Formats: sequence, C-alpha cells, structure tokens
Amino acid sequence: MSVKAILTDVTKCIGCLECVAACKAAYSLKMDLPKTWQKNDGLSANNWTSILQKAGNHYVRKQCRHCHQPACVSVCPVGALSKTPEGPVIYDSGKCLGCRYCMMACPYGIPRYDWDKPVPYVRKCIMCYDRIKEGKQPACTTACPVGATIFGDRDELLAEAHRRIRQNPGKYLNKVYGEHEVGGTSVLYISDIDLGFLSYQPNLGELALPQTTSTAMKSVPYTFVGVGAFMLGLNWIIKRRMKLQDQEVEKEK
Amino acid sequence: MDRVQITKTILWIITGLTAAVGITRFAFGLGAVTNLTDATPWGLWIGFDVMAGVALASGGFVITAIFYIMKREEFHPLVKPAVLTAFLGYVAVIVGLLFDLGLPWNIWHMMIYWNFHSPLFEVGWCVMLYTTVLLLEFSPVPLEEASRYAKIRNFLMKFRFPLVLVGIMLSTLHQSSLGSLFLIMPFKLYPLWYSEILPILFFISAVALGLMMVSLESLVSSYLYRRKTESHLVAKLCKAAIWVLGLYFVIRMSDIIATGKFGLIFSGTWESVLFIIEMAMTVVIPIALFSIPRVRRSLAGQWVGSLLVVLGMVFNRINVGGLTMLRVTGDTYFPSWTEIIITLGVVSGAALAFLFAIEKFHIWKKRPRHPESDRHAKPHFDRTSEVWLGAPGVAARTRYSFAFVLSFAVAFAFLPGKKIHSGGIEEVPTRKARGGDTLFVDGNRDGYGVTFKHDLHMAKNGQKQSCILCHHMNLPMDKQSGCYACHRDMYSPSDAFRHDWHASSAGANLACHQCHEPDEERMAFTAKKCEDCHKDLFVPGSLIEVEKHVASSYTDAMHGLCVNCHKRKAMELPDKPNLARCATCHESTPPDYLQAAIKGKRSGPYFNHVVLPGASVQRKGP
Repeated sequence: MSVKAILTDVTKCIGCLECVAACKAAYSLKMDLPKTWQKNDGLSANNWTSILQKAGNHYVRKQCRHCHQPACVSVCPVGALSKTPEGPVIYDSGKCLGCRYCMMACPYGIPRYDWDKPVPYVRKCIMCYDRIKEGKQPACTTACPVGATIFGDRDELLAEAHRRIRQNPGKYLNKVYGEHEVGGTSVLYISDIDLGFLSYQPNLGELALPQTTSTAMKSVPYTFVGVGAFMLGLNWIIKRRMKLQDQEVEKEK
Repeated sequence: MDRVQITKTILWIITGLTAAVGITRFAFGLGAVTNLTDATPWGLWIGFDVMAGVALASGGFVITAIFYIMKREEFHPLVKPAVLTAFLGYVAVIVGLLFDLGLPWNIWHMMIYWNFHSPLFEVGWCVMLYTTVLLLEFSPVPLEEASRYAKIRNFLMKFRFPLVLVGIMLSTLHQSSLGSLFLIMPFKLYPLWYSEILPILFFISAVALGLMMVSLESLVSSYLYRRKTESHLVAKLCKAAIWVLGLYFVIRMSDIIATGKFGLIFSGTWESVLFIIEMAMTVVIPIALFSIPRVRRSLAGQWVGSLLVVLGMVFNRINVGGLTMLRVTGDTYFPSWTEIIITLGVVSGAALAFLFAIEKFHIWKKRPRHPESDRHAKPHFDRTSEVWLGAPGVAARTRYSFAFVLSFAVAFAFLPGKKIHSGGIEEVPTRKARGGDTLFVDGNRDGYGVTFKHDLHMAKNGQKQSCILCHHMNLPMDKQSGCYACHRDMYSPSDAFRHDWHASSAGANLACHQCHEPDEERMAFTAKKCEDCHKDLFVPGSLIEVEKHVASSYTDAMHGLCVNCHKRKAMELPDKPNLARCATCHESTPPDYLQAAIKGKRSGPYFNHVVLPGASVQRKGP
C-alpha cells in the first residue's frame, strides 16, 4: 500500500462536526466535558479531532499531522509511537511508560493525556489504522458530508491540492500545508486563511525535528569512549609525574 | 532539642505528609494531585526532581575524578559523603520518577524496548547503569561494619578505579543528554535558553554544580553535627568553581551572541529578567565572591557562594524544563501543594537516609558524637522531652514515628477533595436565560449561547398545549421557575433536593420519620416522593419524567430537551435539513438588546468541546 494522507479543504468545511462525532463513535470515546487541564482547542483524551472556528465563518480541522519524520516517534524512549509505512503514526499502549515526552516534543501540541485516570494513556488520532489496513477509509473522511476532508494516496492528494489552487486563482493561499512542513506530513491542508495557529510557531520550517537531536545522539558512543580515554590519559600523566617526583626525592636522599 | 533532632523531626513530618499524598496519587491519578495540563505535561517533578536532582547529584563523579583520576589525595575526607549524596540523589530521582510516570510499573520497559534515537532512552539507561555503579562504589562503606562481608568488600575495593572511570563516562553522557532532551523543542523554549549546544552547557554546569554540592553538603552536615568543617578543602573547590563557572559563562554568552540573541537579554520581557537573575545567581555573584581569597576562605562566603550556585542551577533546570515555555504554550502552570510536598518528601527521604548513614557508618573520620547515634551514651533530659521516653535511641524512634503518623493523618484532612472527586471538571454555576419572547440561553455567561425563539416554538407546537413539551417542574410555590434553579451546574449533575435544609430547625424542621419509614433504611429511594408533600411541584401533563432528585447538568438538560425533537423535525420538515446540526443553534447571534452586553465577551474559537447530549432526560412519549 502506498503512503496515504488526508486532505482538508478549509474553504469547504461547514463546521458540522460530523468528523468529530464519527471519530468518537469509531473508538467509543466518551462524552467530553471541559476539564481544567484541557487546552482551548477542542482536542482532549476523548476528542481526537476538533473543529476550530475562526473569524469569517472559517472552520479548521485540527488533528495529528502524521508527520513523515515524527518528533514524537523519535523521542519515545520505548518506541511506543511508531510511523507505519502506510502513513499513520500509531500508539502501542502496552509499551508506554507514561513519560509524556511525546507531548512535550510535538510541535503541534497534539498528544493528549488521561489525567483523570489511575492508568493513563496518551491519546491522539491514529488515522483509523485498523480500517486503513482493511482497505477502508478513516471514520472522519467517510463521515464528511461535503467532502471537505478526504482520504487517499498522498501523491494523488498533493496533485489534487495543487490543481485546486491552480484552477481557482485567488481562492486559496498558494501553499499546501504539510507538503514540506517539518519534513512533510500525511495530513495536508489547503486554505484561504493562514493556518499558523495550528502549531506552536506559525512558521515551523522544513527541518524534520528528529534532525535536531541526531547529532547529539550519534556522538554518544564517541563521547563515552573519548571521556574514558581522556580520563585514563590524565590519570597516567599525573601518576607518572608523581612517580618522577618521588624518584627525584629519592635521588636527593 | 538540638539541631539534628529538629531537622529530623521536620524531615519525618514532610515524609508523613508525602506518604498520604503518594497514596492519593496512585489511587486517583495524576490529575488529582498535580496541576499538570495537556499544554504543560512536564512540571515540577521533571523540572526539579529529575533534571535538578540529577544535576545536584553530580558531586559523585566530580569528587571521584578529583581524587582517583587527578590523584588529589587531600580531598579524601570529602569522597565518601559525596558518593553517598550522589547515590541517594539518584535513588531520589528514580523514586520521583515513579511518582511522575503515568505507568510507573512499566519503568523497566526501557530494558527490553529500545529506541536509540531518543535522548530519554539514553538518559534512562545511563541513570540505571550509573546508579548501579554508585551502589557498588558506596557499598564498601556499610559492608565495613561487619567482618563477615570482608570478602565481598575486598572484591569491590579492587574494582574501585574501573568503577570510578565508568561512573565518570556515564555521568558525562547523561548529564549532557538531559540537555539534549530539549533540542527537539526549538519552537517552545525561549531563545535565551534554547541552544544547539544545550548538552555541552548542561554538562559544564553539572561539573560546577558538583563542586558546589560537595561544598554545601560539607557545610550543612558540619553545621548540624557541630563539627569542624573542612573549610580549607571547600575553599579549594570554590577556587576550581571559578574556572568552571567562568567557562560556562563564556561558552553560553558566546552562543547567545553568535546566534544573534544578545538583544533579548535587555528586551524587558519577564523571561529576560529570569535570565539576568539566573546568570547573577549562577555565575556573576559567585565568581565575584570566590575571586576574593578572604571571602573564599570564610565560612560565610562559602555558604553564600555555594548556595547561590546550587539554587541558581536548579533555577536553570526549571527554566529549561518548562518555565520559559509558558509564553508559547499560553499556559499558566504552577505546582499544586500536593506536587510540592511529594518533591519535598522525596528529598526528605534522601536526607534522612543520608543522616542515618553519617551516624551509623564510617563516613567521617570520627562518627558524630550525637546522643542518638551512640547506643551507649547516657540518656539526658532536655526542655521538650521532660517525659522519659527511654534511652536516646528509643526516644528518637518514638518521637519521629509520632511525627510521621501524625502528619500522615493530618495530610488526609487537607487533600483536595473537590479536585479528586470532580475528575477535573470545574464547577460552573449556571445563570438564567435572558430575554422574553426570544430567550438567549447562556448558562455560563461566556457570550456563546443559543438564541431560543420561545414564541416561535410555542406557535409551531400548538400554543397552550406546547408548554408540557419542555416545562416540567417548578420550585415550591413558584409558577415559572427557570431551568437554572435546579440544574445549577453547567457540566455536573446537582442536587435538587436540599436535605440539610429540610431537616434543620432553621429550615423546614422536619423529623426523620415524616419522610422515612421507621423500619426502612434511610435512603432516597425509600423516602417519600417530592410530590407527596409538594402538590404544585410538577407541571400537570408534562412529558418529561423525573425519577430522582438529582438534576442533570445544565448542558445535558438543554440538549436533552432540544436535540431529539430537532432530529425528528429535520427529517419531517421539507425545508430544514440542518435543524439537528450543532451550529444551527450554537451559531446563533444574540438578540439586539443583548448585543451590547455580549460584545467583547466572545473571543477565541467556539467549538471547544463536543458535549454529545447525554441520555439523561426521559420522555413519556415523543
């Protein structure tokens, strides 16, 4: 199966929340009530996608971006989060130890937590991976009544996105969000308003975040051996100097 | 009581409080005892317990490097206390982690599930290995006490140099990797702290901190046990600290200047103020103090200098760990008292273990002459213990157990009961809907409400016969109670029956038997029904069934009244397909006469939470 993606066209979304409801129904997520630890963006342990209402009747869908080089996957110490070849970034609750590093690392601030449970897990959109493996669509794209959010092969959706921008001059911003952002994501947006508010900085750049730690991590074995060698060398030099000093004292006697 | 006894009593009190809070944390989850949020998942426990904790325990590898690698034999008196402090420090870090991790019983998973890309994997492994190394480095001390462990002890002592070497190698790795953790957050960390050389800065500051922690530990324990300090050795450590701190300052400032962030220091933001304070505490003032030989050799100078560096570096770890991210995340996190007490408790536990070891094992040349530590000392009376509790050792046990148990019990009185039971749901009292023919229903008065055309709904549903579709109860002796009178909270069910008022002499002054049958259990379902006394409570013919005196939440009540009917009508009526959509009602503009009142209240996105209607309203019929 080729790499899949979801394309959301902000100009088409009517804010009906069918995608939100379908996602909750698909995974039997409970009714969500405003809790003190929630962010003001609708996502929570029980809401894996949400609709943000922006000025001028714009409705923008927020969900995990299923990055190609996810920060969350690279930082999880036990590899509980993993990037599948089909595109979705999925979560293995059996491995998780609840360190919440993924929540800290994600530049979009997506993963949410079961703060009210004694046995808490990390919760986020998993692009209905079980349905995708069976050849079906995710629940959200199936439920969208106006085709604002659609599912398909990433290449085809990218082509479609660029086609829409080209054939409707002035309707969209000339940018497909997620095409190159943080190294490319499997969730794409075309929009007539700037979508910088979906992440912690409006312009995340094209550097995939795992690259920021790779230099440090690659130098670990060298540092380990290097420090050992340096300490041994220092110790040898100092012992030798002490021995020579002792020999001089002996000679004088 | 003398200094040690006062200190230990306080430490046992803190430990008692921590035990109670700790049980709560495991019984009810993190939300019940912390103020952590989705925006700030790492708080005090990571910033202080883990990050500062590991940095504060760096005395072990620094002093062993000075003594074993650089062969500075004069520092021998400082070695055993420093290794002990480091060992207890790392154990404290692990215990703190067991509280912080969501699934602490999976902490061992790092041994079987590997992700070499993760700095946290690296930190986890190094801490595991280094704690083992520290245990092996320190265990000859307690093993010295009994001669039958001599063989094991000699074996361990033979490997002391390789252990020290591996310890330094491991420490270098994980002290720096704690900095690497934050390399992946360039968008969250304030630029004055984010740097591509964070690992190097963390390592150098850990070395400086190690020197200062060894000094501080020597000063504190000498003060407590009233013994002569190793002041001349501490002065030498302070002198070395000048160079390490100076190197840290130069490297950090060069990085800030080279990346064009120098101007930020004077930008007047609260982060820049934090930066200036942090630099003053960790570098500027200590270097100034230690550079003057007279100050460096004085007790006061050593206390002030080492305390400043220690507190300043802890401050640095807290800044990197999350404090300087608050601008970007928009969160306002401050640890709850339960979070703080667990941090203090973990440290107190380590401190108590440290004092125990100092008194029982051969860590100092001369064991402290303390009434509790010497089993053969003659008992003495003092002001607070006029009562004969027994020999000093027994008196101490009694006193500290009492302190522990009392604080343990007292803590339960102060546990945040509301926070535990609410499951994070805030209390939001409802207010009445405003208007007349057209009502604006906005229970929490946040400006986002539903414009409900009352007259229109009446007209479409048969005028006088339509009342019973929605109106179902009135307060006693009231003819038109608003919904908010019983459905008093936006998101939580509320008690519509005020039992205390009915029973109290200041209220209805009813005796128990007037509602409860004498031979039945005194429960709500065996008591009289409300309408047995209040004849005017229920609206005659109302289609809504009320079985219990617990009123559903306001949101449930409103949705329960409206949504099912809207769903039906959307299918029945030819021209209103969107009637059941959330936005049909929730997007409505307020009536004109309310525009002024609401203007400016609405801000930010509206569709915050999908509160799918609960099935709490039962109807008799359609």
